[in-house]
Amino acid sequence: MAAPFSTPDERDDTLSAWLDGELPPERRAEVDAWLQANPEEAARVRLWAADRDALRARLVSALTEPVPDRLQQLVWQHAPEAAMPWWQGRGQWAAAFVIFMLGGLIGAGAAWRAQPGRALVAQAPAGSWVQRAALAHSVYVPEQRHPVEVAVAGKTAEESRAQEEHLSRWLTRRLNVPVKLFDLREQGYELVGGRLLPDGAGAGPGAQLMYQAVGGTARVTVYLRKPDEAAPAAFRFERDGDVNLFYWVEAGTGYALAGSLPRGQLLALAEAIYRQQPAASAPAASPSK
Amino acid sequence: MSVPTSFRQQLLGTIPRLRRYARSLLIDAAAADDLVQTALERALSHWHQFDQQRDILVWVISIAHNAHMDTLRRSGRLTIVDPHELQAEQDRRGSDPGADVGLRMDLVAALQRLPVEQREPLLLVSVEELSYAECAEVLRIPIGTVMSRISRGRAALRALLDGRAPTPAVQPLRRVV
Repeated sequence: MAAPFSTPDERDDTLSAWLDGELPPERRAEVDAWLQANPEEAARVRLWAADRDALRARLVSALTEPVPDRLQQLVWQHAPEAAMPWWQGRGQWAAAFVIFMLGGLIGAGAAWRAQPGRALVAQAPAGSWVQRAALAHSVYVPEQRHPVEVAVAGKTAEESRAQEEHLSRWLTRRLNVPVKLFDLREQGYELVGGRLLPDGAGAGPGAQLMYQAVGGTARVTVYLRKPDEAAPAAFRFERDGDVNLFYWVEAGTGYALAGSLPRGQLLALAEAIYRQQPAASAPAASPSK
Repeated sequence: MSVPTSFRQQLLGTIPRLRRYARSLLIDAAAADDLVQTALERALSHWHQFDQQRDILVWVISIAHNAHMDTLRRSGRLTIVDPHELQAEQDRRGSDPGADVGLRMDLVAALQRLPVEQREPLLLVSVEELSYAECAEVLRIPIGTVMSRISRGRAALRALLDGRAPTPAVQPLRRVV
């Protein structure tokens, strides 16, 4: 077959663009076929891909480390106008802080009412489903191109709705628990989509729903599963590295909400999910002891 | 007019990606965070110039890129070269039997050997997963230039990792089938 390039430079530019997914479909197909017929060249492109993956792996720590306080404070406190009266800047900061604390308190109060008498902080046993939820969070949240298996964004509103329905039905069928796609838009988070995950030996699969901050890049995930018989229903909090988690069991479904957000903000989201979760069909797979 | 809280929140959301980008350019974590700080300060001072239709990440990355270029210019480490000279320079470097040639290079060391003109687009697309169009926007160069710089950068990086000198551009096509 004829080489679809006239010069070595054009060949390399095209193969490189092929790797980056930047070729139009027809050209891509041409290159696909050419690579099939030229295994030596295909091997060279695979090395480029390996270098790309190695670079990403080398740099992933910058994404998972907590953001230094000085950078966060800079963003919250920076007042470009030098003429701004000192109290105004401070006032805004104080107001933001008060709102933040209030949110936390309201959330904490709601959680407390939901499960009176339960400890809020707990240590999940090693190898537990909560740890699997934290791990799945850390694996998929940094993904840019393939964060989810089924994305809900469609070209039109109808298409998005159809995708959402499909996702919800598919996960419900596979998990054998009702999977509802929570609406967190009021809290500033939009559903990206979901995926099916293996959930430990002997258990059925788990599911992960991913949400992203509207206009931002922060992501939180909700992990759902059919709980073990003995799973306690308490509403608990756990920290795993820089991932904060709230988890609970309600109406025959185990939920774990994970995010690298301050506890108060995450609690507000947990509370929104708690309010939206499907009601028990039978008297809840119940807390009791 | 003061900076809206919603803008501050959006900006906070970009910090992890911005830190990764800065670290990929500078390697040294403290220097990288200084660059992030400069970029955030500039973004906050020019928040009203941000068009909400655009991706804020691409916008702040452009700001960080400009800040980085300013630093390089100030310290005299940047010479603007046209693409032909860039290639000639690479060929010269390639034929120079420097200490590194013949050794398998560490990924980071190899990355640092790439001229910034190649390193930046390669990182923006490979690591930050920007499209060629977004990369062209950040670097203010044509898409065709983005494409050729990335492919040169990729080939040069691989050559360095293999312990070869980066291959000169003008080289006969080995096998035309």
